[in-house]
Amino acid sequence: MQKLVVIGAGMASGRVLEHLFEAEAPYEVTLFNAEPRGNYNRIMLSPVLSGEKSFAEIVTHGDAWYDEHAVTCRFGEKVTAIDRARKVVVGENGAVPYDKLLIATGSAPFIIPLPGHDLPGVVAYRDLEDTNAMIEASAKPGSRAVVIGGGLLGLEAAAGLRLRGMDVTVLHLMGHLMERQLDEAAGYLLKQDLEKRGIDVMLNASTKAIEGDGKVERVVLEDGTVLEADIVCMAVGIRPAGQIGADAGLECGKAIKVDAHMRTSDPDIFAVGECVEFDGNLFGLVAPLYDQARVVAKTLRGEDDVFTMRELSTKLKVTGCDLFSAGDFAQGEGREDIVFRDPARGIYKRLVIEDDRLVGAVLYGDTADGNWFFGLIKDETCIEEMRDTLIYGPAFQGGGAAGQDPLAAVAALPPEAEICGCNGICKNQIVDAIGAGANTLETLRAQTKASASCGTCTGLVEQLLAVTLGDSFETGGAKPVCGCTELTHEDVRRLIKARALRSQTAVWQELGWLTVNGCPSCRPAINFYLLAEWPLDYQDDAQSRFVNERNHANIQKDGTYSVMPRMWGGMTSADELLAIATAAKKYDAAVKVTGGQRIDLLGIEKDDLPAIWADLNAAGMVSGHAYSKGLRTVKTCVGTDWCRFGTQDSTGLGIKLEKKLWGSWTPHKVKMGVSGCPRNCAEATCKDVGVICVDSGYQIGVAGAAGMDLRETKRLVDVATEDEVIEWTTAFVQLYRENAKYLDRPYKWVDKVGLDWVKDVLSDPAERAALNERFEISQSVYRKDPWAERATEPEARKFQPLADLTMEPAE
Amino acid sequence: MQESNQAIADDRSFIRAAELWLPEGETLKPGGGHYGNAGGFADVTARTAFAKGEGLPGKAWEQRRALVLDRFNGSCFIRHEAAETAGLTCAVALPIFADQVLKAILVVFCGGDADHVGAIEVWEERDGLLHLDDGYYGASTDFAQASKDVTFARGQGLPGGVWSARTPILMRDIGASQGFVRSDSAGRTGLKTGLGIPLPSPDGKVRVATFLSAPNTPLASRFEIWDAREERVGSQRRAVRIDGICEREGPLWPKLNPPIDILGVHPWQGPIGQVLGTGLPHVVGNGVALPAGYRSMVAVPIYRGETLAFITAWYL
Repeated sequence: MQKLVVIGAGMASGRVLEHLFEAEAPYEVTLFNAEPRGNYNRIMLSPVLSGEKSFAEIVTHGDAWYDEHAVTCRFGEKVTAIDRARKVVVGENGAVPYDKLLIATGSAPFIIPLPGHDLPGVVAYRDLEDTNAMIEASAKPGSRAVVIGGGLLGLEAAAGLRLRGMDVTVLHLMGHLMERQLDEAAGYLLKQDLEKRGIDVMLNASTKAIEGDGKVERVVLEDGTVLEADIVCMAVGIRPAGQIGADAGLECGKAIKVDAHMRTSDPDIFAVGECVEFDGNLFGLVAPLYDQARVVAKTLRGEDDVFTMRELSTKLKVTGCDLFSAGDFAQGEGREDIVFRDPARGIYKRLVIEDDRLVGAVLYGDTADGNWFFGLIKDETCIEEMRDTLIYGPAFQGGGAAGQDPLAAVAALPPEAEICGCNGICKNQIVDAIGAGANTLETLRAQTKASASCGTCTGLVEQLLAVTLGDSFETGGAKPVCGCTELTHEDVRRLIKARALRSQTAVWQELGWLTVNGCPSCRPAINFYLLAEWPLDYQDDAQSRFVNERNHANIQKDGTYSVMPRMWGGMTSADELLAIATAAKKYDAAVKVTGGQRIDLLGIEKDDLPAIWADLNAAGMVSGHAYSKGLRTVKTCVGTDWCRFGTQDSTGLGIKLEKKLWGSWTPHKVKMGVSGCPRNCAEATCKDVGVICVDSGYQIGVAGAAGMDLRETKRLVDVATEDEVIEWTTAFVQLYRENAKYLDRPYKWVDKVGLDWVKDVLSDPAERAALNERFEISQSVYRKDPWAERATEPEARKFQPLADLTMEPAE
Repeated sequence: MQESNQAIADDRSFIRAAELWLPEGETLKPGGGHYGNAGGFADVTARTAFAKGEGLPGKAWEQRRALVLDRFNGSCFIRHEAAETAGLTCAVALPIFADQVLKAILVVFCGGDADHVGAIEVWEERDGLLHLDDGYYGASTDFAQASKDVTFARGQGLPGGVWSARTPILMRDIGASQGFVRSDSAGRTGLKTGLGIPLPSPDGKVRVATFLSAPNTPLASRFEIWDAREERVGSQRRAVRIDGICEREGPLWPKLNPPIDILGVHPWQGPIGQVLGTGLPHVVGNGVALPAGYRSMVAVPIYRGETLAFITAWYL
């Protein structure tokens, strides 16, 4: 009999021994384990932590099993060295000779070297000792846990500790949970699910320090947030524990290198599990470990087998959370997404297709078809023939009308199938209503309430109309935002407010978007609606803006940009003009005086933008927002300061209005004018808001235009004071921000809602005050110079080219 | 082995009998059950029917909520003489609703011996917390008091976990130190295993039932949770066993990842399949089709809306 020594009694080596003993094995086995116990199912520690399993249930090999297979167990004993020359393994209690050696030392948890990381009460989540430490901490009534890391292990720890009764906060550095296994939409649903369990989840949370007097007492974040904690679980990843192999001179990279037979650089030494590196890959999930174990056992028995990489799937062991992820779901050229969402049931499914093959799948809330999709990914099955119904799973494949045609699939639904989840409306109720004469979507909505709430079943309801009425049904009605949704802009705005949707991910999921992340058409609109509704909660997304808004300058036809500093009310000074002239010379700009009483510097290279902004900032100037859907200019005449006809200080009022309103995002650009008398030198009567000063006060007109359409302003109100002008104008702009469809100028919006409605709303002093208050809240975020924020590092670096392609490569 | 189990079932089990009442129009009629040694009580039951509001089953139907009677005398319980003759002193009625529709009333009976340890509790949500609505604790008076003094937030403890997950949960070693939220008193009482199930009701109130078992006077020696949701099993009607523990067979959950070894049943296949097929609770009292060594079983369907979502079963 040869002597086989195994270092480590984890899941991989346990499976090696099981395979080895399946047939007569010519080995005397000695098994070392640093833990004082044999093999157990480590991935089931989470249910042990939560109390949903006992440790006894997850023990894989008990004493009797080791006795039966004559395994000499040296548990609780660390191996200190491998002496390859003598072919012995040196343990704390003595050396053991080997003919073959298997290293299965697994991995060690990664501990972030934060201040306080070594305080008592900071635990990793790797073994039974860690689990027991957390269970012990949970015994104190009212105790609090902070889990650092929103990956698989961290979330399982959080759910377990919560079930134990603790107050739990999860800190995750990234923008969504389990970002390696889930996309943003599934991460959003998972966060919601965990929050329903009373677990606080903080995203983009960077931990600064762990503090306490002799033990953990609190966690401090970079943003100054302080979280009380009785225990901190750090679950931020693992590192291969292959040092014993490296010390023995085995070839190592990030871990112990093995070939496809799991053999190390020493032919008598094998390695398996998380401590190995194969073909540049490291391992953390159990499925490939079991494959490796089979290969090792066969090789030890002299049989032929090789290890190959394979696709992996993921499951989170939190009771009641149904999620599945497999393959590669990154977006990329040549890839196509198929998305299905059922907001009422919290379901999200996304399939990623490339070259007629399914390459990735993310399922949340309904994982029944997960293994089928996984099989398609692993087998690289051609899905061309079932593409249209693939998302509905295997039940819709393989023949029958329902497998071929979505309309037939709807026709095949049983009468009691629920169509409108929000209102609990079934197919038979809708068909009955159609039979009773409801032959349009609107009448169906009115009679049955189907598709009248979130609206995401509108497509299904229309298909039912088409199936039931045949050719006599014509779709129609309001135009949806884009092909990503059946909802109109107005629906989306209403639902963002009514359902308190505060992120793009929430909109995509809760409103049943048909695409993963919207499209270039809908993203800018949704971005605006969110920032207008939730200015303090929602962070403006630069990637959802047009190029001019993203770069805070207007791109010209030659690829250069124009830069236009703000001139408040059209006023400037000699110093400003000198600074503009200097900048124009320095950056070789063309200079143009605009119709909005400003100066435009044309021909600026993109990588010069931060520098010219810095120069103009230094002279006290800020962005003129000549590129934005926001306030552009307030054009004024010289008013009573200089003009003999002037009735009021039109310049001063224009400056006040501009200083009040600049920086705010609006559905489309907003231009204003203030004329000091009815001669109207500032052309205020063709602006979005135009003020004509008269002896008795001010006439405020709105909804003018002088572009593709030419419109004279309509009189909104006459007021007596400047303060009233500012109050009414601000209220009008805020009402426009809160209600208009994205890319509707004020005149188009007023045409839709009617000037009478606008007057009705604004004539209520309380409503005007509330609109002003909400505008100011928004301006607390947006009344700032975007140039100043981007003129210095690190933001300025984003305007530099990634590579200089004009240079010849070095020889 | 079977004989010793029989002994547990008849003499030491915390639950002595279980019965079903099925609605027929405005009346509840007997739907079967197992009565152990309480044969006389079974005979009386077979001749009984209840109108809505009448007797314990009728009251549970009328009030659309679980009811606990810790004594029969002076209560709404109509069959109290036969019950007391059979040594039954307490009853818990659990109405099983599919959305607005009553599917059945399950009534379980306990005995009143001084050394009977266990608990059946009903928790109800008020002001964002689960409070004890009612419970039967046998001789576990300390634990009864501890339960009255505790509330559970979402996700917290067995009741809170069931509430937030909307899923039955089976907890082990609840009396072990640092275990269960009420582990101190549970440990002193000798409680070991806890099964929590959601109790959906037409009034929309959140309610959770917990069954806590001690080894010496067990509610059951085997617990199982089956998942029948379409989201889990697909469009073909079936159920898969997602968790379970058995004193004889050990753990009953899938060991492989992915769980290709998970046990599944189809409608009408075995006792769990009966629940899938009928949508009703199923009670076995004669050991037929049960795992080796078991003589009785109670299987309870749990609905989400109108759809059968989970089945829990306990065996003795």
